[in-house]
Amino acid sequence: MSTIELKNVTKTFGKHVAVDGLSLTVPQGSVYGFIGPNGSGKTTTLRMIMNILYPDSGEITIFGEPLTPASCDRIGYMPEERGLYKRMKVREVLEFFGGLKNGDGIRAKVDRWLERLDLADWANKKVETLSKGMSQKVQFIATVVSQPELVLLDEPFTGLDPVNTDVIKDAILELQAQGTTVIFSTHDMSMAEKMCDYIFMIFKGVKVLDGTLAEIQDRYGTDTIRVRTGDGMTALQNLEGIERVNDFGQLQELRLAPGGNSQVILQEILKRTYVRSFEIVKPSLHDIFIRIAGPQAKEVERA
Amino acid sequence: MRKILRLALREYKAAVKTKGFIIGLVLAPLVMGGGLIAFLLLKDRVDTTDKRVAVVDRSWVVTEALVKAAELRNANEIIDKESGKKVRPAYFFEEVKPNTNDPKGQRLELSDRVRNGDLHGFIEIGPQVVHPGKDRETFQISYYAKNAAIDDLRNWAAGAINNRLRELRLADAGVKESDVKDLFFWVTVDGLGLVSLDESTGAIAEGKRASPLDAILIPIVIMMLMLLMIMMSVPGMLHSVMEEKTQRIAEVLLGSIKPFEFMAAKLVGGIAVSLTSSAVYIIGGIIALQVMGYEDYVPLHVLPWFFGYMLLAIIMFGAWSAALGSTCSEAKDAQSLSFPTILPAIFPMFIYFPVVREPLGSFATWMSLIPPFTPLLMVLRLCTPGGVPAWQPFVGLLGVLLCTLFFVWAAGRIFRVAILMQGTPPKLSNIVRWAIRG
Repeated sequence: MSTIELKNVTKTFGKHVAVDGLSLTVPQGSVYGFIGPNGSGKTTTLRMIMNILYPDSGEITIFGEPLTPASCDRIGYMPEERGLYKRMKVREVLEFFGGLKNGDGIRAKVDRWLERLDLADWANKKVETLSKGMSQKVQFIATVVSQPELVLLDEPFTGLDPVNTDVIKDAILELQAQGTTVIFSTHDMSMAEKMCDYIFMIFKGVKVLDGTLAEIQDRYGTDTIRVRTGDGMTALQNLEGIERVNDFGQLQELRLAPGGNSQVILQEILKRTYVRSFEIVKPSLHDIFIRIAGPQAKEVERA
Repeated sequence: MRKILRLALREYKAAVKTKGFIIGLVLAPLVMGGGLIAFLLLKDRVDTTDKRVAVVDRSWVVTEALVKAAELRNANEIIDKESGKKVRPAYFFEEVKPNTNDPKGQRLELSDRVRNGDLHGFIEIGPQVVHPGKDRETFQISYYAKNAAIDDLRNWAAGAINNRLRELRLADAGVKESDVKDLFFWVTVDGLGLVSLDESTGAIAEGKRASPLDAILIPIVIMMLMLLMIMMSVPGMLHSVMEEKTQRIAEVLLGSIKPFEFMAAKLVGGIAVSLTSSAVYIIGGIIALQVMGYEDYVPLHVLPWFFGYMLLAIIMFGAWSAALGSTCSEAKDAQSLSFPTILPAIFPMFIYFPVVREPLGSFATWMSLIPPFTPLLMVLRLCTPGGVPAWQPFVGLLGVLLCTLFFVWAAGRIFRVAILMQGTPPKLSNIVRWAIRG
């Protein structure tokens, strides 16, 4: 059963088409990652799902029903730009936002989440006294404290240190384990690769990727070589049969040109230097993202 | 509705649980009524320094009487008999012979004496002052002083000089003052309200003595109170919506409530704040007036209209304010919109005086039926002793109600579009477009 279904949804602002004929199905209980460059239409899509923006055309179904203001009570939404009343105390602000959705037993839920995210000592402090990371955790609690069935998180990891990133990641996975459907947008491709059951990429308002990571990688085949050599990047200059070299310092990622042969390339590298490791892999999500939205990207191709 | 009330409650608490609100509750009436209170407290405080005035009497017949009148006044009127304290300045007049060759030079010389502090001022009396002819200069009485326009001495001297002139004119006509009893007895005209019939007892009730207190002061105080209530909530809505927009709280809220509910909650919160303040002021005011024995002056019959109009005014102006607040992307936008926001609310203050002077005139009637001005001006007119025709408050209320519905409708459309729009300046053309197209 799907939690969200978008059918041919289009949204324009003046002459700019922000979302163009988007169709998407989000299965219940899944973690769905929205990726795409800035200004590609991720936030607009999330706002339409939240009923904050209305589509110009198309249909949005949530929990099997047409989108209504009442269905928003079953959705938690954390916008990209965080917004909390700075002069309110942490507990007050959480009870307020939680109460707007579903106020049943809100105080106990707030206490549990404050404890869970290590913020119990800050419950009676004003929001303006919190660090950015703590504010972000409070914003996360405000989104999930009413136990919504669907959670939309716009860039939940932006600005968090690794410790707090893990805290939020674990909390998201805990929500999923309890049956909650989670959608989050991110620019962190490795996080999307590791966490998401499904990944959706939107570029210039058009859906360009949609599926599991394996499905997406299968579309791009095994045209990527990861290699570690004695001379690093210098040994890989002007290799024939290579379309692009991505240098990570300690390792290089080579993309085969159409018709390129990995064995021929290995032999060529061995002539130049010694090889510590040579691995033929599927392209990473990061690489796929660059292929679609990078400077050398070709025309947008609908998924 | 639950969400509106919840958000309104937060707005209310955020407003009233601040030191600013408590201080404002005390300070606002003091500031607004401060001038009046200061005037009442200080009106009897006068400068008791004696004043010396030169008199250039070209008629040669006034000065002596003026000096005598001043002596009489100095003997009887400047010392308070009960306390024995000096409460008014003594006046001394010094005769200066007119210089017929160089009158301008003489005026300059006397003016210099005033500048030096030797004199308070000087009076010049024209030669034909007893029987004025056509040439004004020949009978003119001029008073020269540093602040001649507002000077008690000028008013007192005018009375004394004219009494002398009347005596001289009667004498010239062959009439002695002693022959006409009460010749100079001045009778005032008392102002009274209309006589009415008490329907329960059948008795005729005398007209109430008209006083500036209930003719002008009470209406103005009630009007100012309503303005104060409006100003306590309406401008705040502009800034609070702007803050929620710029701090991105609005988008979080819009994940839970519809834009119209969001605006409605702001209005309900604002109304609650104003009701709290007005309850404090009105109950406090009534108790204070009862303690002082002025309870008859409380226009209890106006209070239902006061609250009805106040609620609609706050909704009307508050919706306008919230809509404008939603168009602001930064603090300077809000600053530039602050005045346009409160202008419709404060405009009646510019025209209240002609309205309270002639509350039943056509100007007062028509202005008080223009919906944005109705709440303040109709309440002002209702508080005047004569009241207004019974139909007018109802027609005014209907107009305000329709206008309020229009404001809320238009504001809701502007709010819905503008609240999520960042970086678009609040131009009039944009605001109108959003109101029309939604």
